[in-house]
Amino acid sequence: MAQVVLKSLVKDYNKQNVVKGIDIVIPDGSFSVLVGPSGCGKSTTLRMIAGLEKVTKGEIWIGNQLVNDLAPGKRDLAMVFQNYALYPTMNVFDNIAFGLRNRGVSKKECKVLVEEISEIVGLTEYLTRMPSQLSGGQRQRVALARAMVKKPKVFLMDEPLSNLDAKLRNQMRVELTGLHKRLGTTFIYVTHDQVEAMTMGDQIIVMDQGTVQQAASPIQLYKEPDNQFVAQFIGSPAMNILSGFQQRLLVGFRPESAKIAGVNQEAPLSDRAQFMKRGNILSREILGSDVLYYVESGQEKLVVKDDLRYLLQEGQEVIVSVNEEDLYLFDQESGIRLRQGINLKEKQKLAGGMT
Amino acid sequence: MKIMGRIALKTGEAVMLIAVSLIFVFPFIWMALTAFKTLPEVYQFPPTLLPESWQIQNIVKAWESGPFPTYLLNSTLVAFGVLFLQILTGVPAAYAFARYKFRGRNLLFALTLIALMIPPQVIFLPIYVEMSNWGLVDTLWSLILPYGASAFGIFLLRQVFMQVPDEVIEAARLDQASEWKIMWRIMAPMAKHVLVTFGLFSFIYHWNDYFWPLIMTNSNEVRTLPIGISMLKASDGGSEWNIAMAGNMILVVPILLIFFFAQRHIIQAFTYQSK
Amino acid sequence: MQPTMGTQQSSLVKEKVTMKKRSLSRWTETVRPYAYIMPALLFFCLFFFFPIGYMIYLSFHDWSLLDLSAMEWVGLANFQEIMLDSDFHLVVINTIIYTFGTVAISLVLSFFLALWLNRQAKIYGIMQAAVFSPHIISLVSVSMLWMWLMDPQYGLLNAILEFFGFPAYTWLADTSSALLSLILVSVWKGVGYNTIVFIAGLQSIPKDIYEAASLDRAGKLRTLAKITLPMLSPTLFFLTIINLISSFQVFDTIYIMTQGGPVNSTNMLVFYIYEQGMDFYNGGIASAASVVLLGLIGVMTFLHFWFAERRVHYR
Repeated sequence: MAQVVLKSLVKDYNKQNVVKGIDIVIPDGSFSVLVGPSGCGKSTTLRMIAGLEKVTKGEIWIGNQLVNDLAPGKRDLAMVFQNYALYPTMNVFDNIAFGLRNRGVSKKECKVLVEEISEIVGLTEYLTRMPSQLSGGQRQRVALARAMVKKPKVFLMDEPLSNLDAKLRNQMRVELTGLHKRLGTTFIYVTHDQVEAMTMGDQIIVMDQGTVQQAASPIQLYKEPDNQFVAQFIGSPAMNILSGFQQRLLVGFRPESAKIAGVNQEAPLSDRAQFMKRGNILSREILGSDVLYYVESGQEKLVVKDDLRYLLQEGQEVIVSVNEEDLYLFDQESGIRLRQGINLKEKQKLAGGMT
Repeated sequence: MKIMGRIALKTGEAVMLIAVSLIFVFPFIWMALTAFKTLPEVYQFPPTLLPESWQIQNIVKAWESGPFPTYLLNSTLVAFGVLFLQILTGVPAAYAFARYKFRGRNLLFALTLIALMIPPQVIFLPIYVEMSNWGLVDTLWSLILPYGASAFGIFLLRQVFMQVPDEVIEAARLDQASEWKIMWRIMAPMAKHVLVTFGLFSFIYHWNDYFWPLIMTNSNEVRTLPIGISMLKASDGGSEWNIAMAGNMILVVPILLIFFFAQRHIIQAFTYQSK
Repeated sequence: MQPTMGTQQSSLVKEKVTMKKRSLSRWTETVRPYAYIMPALLFFCLFFFFPIGYMIYLSFHDWSLLDLSAMEWVGLANFQEIMLDSDFHLVVINTIIYTFGTVAISLVLSFFLALWLNRQAKIYGIMQAAVFSPHIISLVSVSMLWMWLMDPQYGLLNAILEFFGFPAYTWLADTSSALLSLILVSVWKGVGYNTIVFIAGLQSIPKDIYEAASLDRAGKLRTLAKITLPMLSPTLFFLTIINLISSFQVFDTIYIMTQGGPVNSTNMLVFYIYEQGMDFYNGGIASAASVVLLGLIGVMTFLHFWFAERRVHYR
């Protein structure tokens, strides 16, 4: 058990700046998720923590030890890889026991530990099988068992669920969070899937282009994004971003916080609605309990999520309205969220809403 | 007519098949048949096909005509000794070529490839001088050491090692396995197929080799089977061909047996270079 | 004051120790790949690169295996001598005839064998194995076996000729036929290897090309000339080089079957080098001839790599 601290961590690859000086504190016992689009540096960061990539600049602390130059095997952490990376020539038992043996654990103790772990992940019957004889889910469990058996201070996971089918992935998500609760060990989990991040993590670190965009709890990320990138990355469908009334300003709102109604229809528009846009429905997607409307308003396109009570037709002229507290303002150039020193009246004016 | 033509074609092909297989297989059969004939029957013209009486003792005679147990032991020692050294030097070299980035890697690998192309026959003279300077001529070392590293083996193993996913090696590193252990416990077992293929190639090559022991040895204690067998051929021409053929059976039958059981492996081993 | 100083100092010392440790681990990581290649490289240096250089050095000296300490620098004299030596000319001519004879016959035969035997049915697999089998047999056995088959008086081959009413052939016993007989033996031993490699080449040609050709109504001969042969040209080139290199170094068959005779008619390069160096103790001549052989093989090797490189680029 340990907290992991990254201090202005930098990684260059062939003169290319992949990780550009990040500072993160991963609290002891947390389930921290590194999330971001591909190429954002999240995997590189994880691999630096593991010791599989050399650190160009900066420091990595695990517990109270600086580990920059420590061999991966000596960092007391375990990693689960995307493609499981089982040893194909060893059976399940040897796969799990390999790390223990290398640490000089006696054969007898190995056996006890491996059996204990395989009981937990449900592999007891498969100990003599070769990895090639296992299903994807079972291989995943072997990879987990192999990590767990070492009782590491930190678990690292690099997109461990992305090779599983959707159903198994959901099941494993639940199992992994359950496992985290039981072990209480620090988990650092890398994924490109924001849904996975939101459902599993208690701290989410959003990365883009080698920098940390925001590190916060799932709810905070959703409600109080620091910048345009986070606002659009978290949440599905992504936040609508429209140009504001004033130049240099962008206004955003989430599809699910907008209301939509036909122009000549007595719709249940909220009286507090402050921001409205008129447009046409380009298309719609019925998701089951909800429906997504793709609306064209002038040059801009936006998405609104609504329930099925008042189903609108494609091509219909509509008014989209948003409550002022659901509006987010961003600086056009930096993408930084503007939230201080602007009162509601101003906000409304800046947003260019029609009253 | 059409059917007739097809039948003619089929019989024609069957005749061809038989003829070609006779050309390649019958010499071996003739070797065996001669090996079991008496000397007068060998020198009968026109020759008989089957021996009039099967002279099994010809094999024994051939075996006892020289220190064959020593030859056999030497052949085995050399073939396995070479293979052992080649694997011991080849696995680490192939691992480094496949898995590390370092200065001069391409140059060193190019040098290895050159060693793959130029046969030792061409440079036997300076090696002989070297060996004689070290006092190793006429010892088993002079047969084993020059083949201690195989460019072919390194080439094959490198090919396999390059295909091992990075993550497997990284997982092993996280499992606190040393590089040495990764090499022998993770990589080598994954190259098992190629190791067997290469092992067969190397073993057969050195089991059969005549040139090198001919150059390097001149006493019975260190001679190998091919040399011993070749000495069954009397220089004056009036050879006991039955004994000579019986001796050759000792050399040929083990290889043909291995070929029979590991045909695909062996064909692959010998034709791998073409890929 | 004092205690802070102390801890500062100790932390400095600690830093120094970790620095040392760091640089040590960096150093081992840098050296590691070289250390892994070292053993193999050592063998290559001792038994490949050094001997090549040494051989060139030796070729400029007059020396013999009888007394290695008495070496005399003679410059290019050895090369001059072999260039003027009619025996060496004969050796080179023999080697060229043998090499081109063996390679040409073997490649043509194996090409047709491959076209014929490249089929799925089991019998063809067995045939491939049968044709290949001489390739893995010791040249000692092959040589002795064929010596016996070619025995002019009691050999099976002459018995067969006689059975069909042909006159007996001289085989290894006459200058006019000995070289041809050696070529025959080498073809017999080597054709299987070439056949198998050709078959592998044939199988790597995509089937849809043939299907397209048949849709275009290309005849069998046309398909062979316009598709199979061009697609097979990398294989053909590889086999040519490999066969040339192995034919240049023919030795075992000569040593066992003819000893270069009759009257030098089967004396070829490696046998010449062997005789000069090991029997006649003309170390200088032998090493000069070796350098010539090395040059030939070097050219072949260069061609091979040059072609392989080009092939990679065009793909």
